[in-house]
Amino acid sequence: MNALKLLDTQGRVTPEDSRTHIRIPFELNTSCSRLNFRFEYAPKVLEDREQAVKLLQDSYEIYILPEQREQANARAERHLPLKNLITLSLDDAQGYRGACHRHDPLQELFVSQHEASPGLMAGEVAAGSWNVTLSLHCIVTDICDYRLQIWTPEEADA
Amino acid sequence: MKWIACELHTHTLHSDGRQTLQELAEGAAQLGFDAIALTDHNTMSGLVGKEEVEREYGLIIVPGMEWTTFYGHMVTIGLSEYADWREAMQQDIDRGIESVHRLGGIAGLAHPFRVGSPACTGCFWEYEIGDWNAVDYIEVWSGTFPSIQTDNHRAYRLWTDKLNEGYRIAATSGRDWHVQSDTDEPISVTYLEVGDAACAKQDGSDIQADIEKGASESEQESFAIPEVALIQALREGRASVTIGPLLSMVLEAAGESYRIGSVLPVTKMNESDEKMTATITAKLSVDFSVRPGQWSLAEQTFKLKLCSNLGEEIAVNVIDSTQQSNDTGTLHPKFETSIELPVLPTDLFRKWLRAELWGTVQGAHTRIAFTNAVYFESTAEGGAD
Repeated sequence: MNALKLLDTQGRVTPEDSRTHIRIPFELNTSCSRLNFRFEYAPKVLEDREQAVKLLQDSYEIYILPEQREQANARAERHLPLKNLITLSLDDAQGYRGACHRHDPLQELFVSQHEASPGLMAGEVAAGSWNVTLSLHCIVTDICDYRLQIWTPEEADA
Repeated sequence: MKWIACELHTHTLHSDGRQTLQELAEGAAQLGFDAIALTDHNTMSGLVGKEEVEREYGLIIVPGMEWTTFYGHMVTIGLSEYADWREAMQQDIDRGIESVHRLGGIAGLAHPFRVGSPACTGCFWEYEIGDWNAVDYIEVWSGTFPSIQTDNHRAYRLWTDKLNEGYRIAATSGRDWHVQSDTDEPISVTYLEVGDAACAKQDGSDIQADIEKGASESEQESFAIPEVALIQALREGRASVTIGPLLSMVLEAAGESYRIGSVLPVTKMNESDEKMTATITAKLSVDFSVRPGQWSLAEQTFKLKLCSNLGEEIAVNVIDSTQQSNDTGTLHPKFETSIELPVLPTDLFRKWLRAELWGTVQGAHTRIAFTNAVYFESTAEGGAD
């Protein structure tokens, strides 16, 4: 059986894109047994230690009371390394099909009638409008590239 | 009435936890919990098959989801289905809370002062809440040994501030439990008080006992009863939080009893009226026998405090020189006392009252337990308001 590629998209995001969603719609013309997703992004980690500590100290200005800031700065190490976090959630025409909120920068996921990857809901893989939402919780590296591929394992009926 | 030991903030590998629901349930049951809420980040897929796990481990599993958003984490429990976390705007979390309520759930601020992005994305509460009446609870104790953490102190203060402003908001603990691992740090428990009726099924048997025995499949629906009762208890603030003994309080006034979470009506009379001196008695109990073997405290004299919007009103010693640690397997005492609340001058009004138990834990002087509040409502009479 030939896989049917539904989508293969790439993008580049920057720290300014933090706290935004990217919605990626796709159409499923016929119902099928299974949908596969491969989602990846890189880099994962901000390697520049100095830059990372600076970002943390800036955030402590907001999140930590003045009297505790000095101690927090001295213990900034506990929050390193800083990581980008992009999570994927899925909707079919009927509604929410779950989310995969975890730090893995490469996620190979699927949904099918009776099984699904952890975080996603098993159930009918019905024809219609679907959406992947990429949630950019935090981008700390100057640039971060992502790629999303979606395919079904079989050729749809012609 | 019966206190149910709950862990209200947990994760599995359906989000970023490193445990299955089975492993989580087994760990919770071993720690003496009666109920957990599964609050995976942005998904409820981990709840599939929960009934089987409930039966296997004799544990109630309350459905939930932690809204893991850009401006705050919000724990939501008791929902019949998913409410969309992605729509939440920084100025408009009220609509999100409303959507949770519409689905029968309740919403609480999770670890509102934990350091946010980039260290912990969205962890610090940055939403502007339009109407604090809509907030059901605040997770004032997050993590293990929560009472000594400075971010939890801020959350506790936020809760107290909101009570002072007149809002009726519950306070809970949540381990934010991601993985099964042993810890020497004290584990907190949120006890929720449910009525006896909620624990009893139609045939009069005890549902908790039934769960422990492993109820048959035909009895499955009965598990829904305590779940709803637990949500209702938290909605009404019938909660007591502890890292050890169970602290409870009932106020008595004019022949009526007022349990934690309830509202005590206070009639404001003319200044000369004799009834102004009507007394309120706080009946307090510290039960050292709960979750036997699961916690221990060094021998000491504890301090039991009654706190309100007027500050710390009264403090008494809780002396239990022999058996405040419950890891000996012997009979365990319950400390009980009655305290008459001070009569207030006419220009002062008590809005709420809670009990706190203080002592030394692993070398730190700290809160060990606290109750949620009993609220006081002024019912004006004779134009005295």
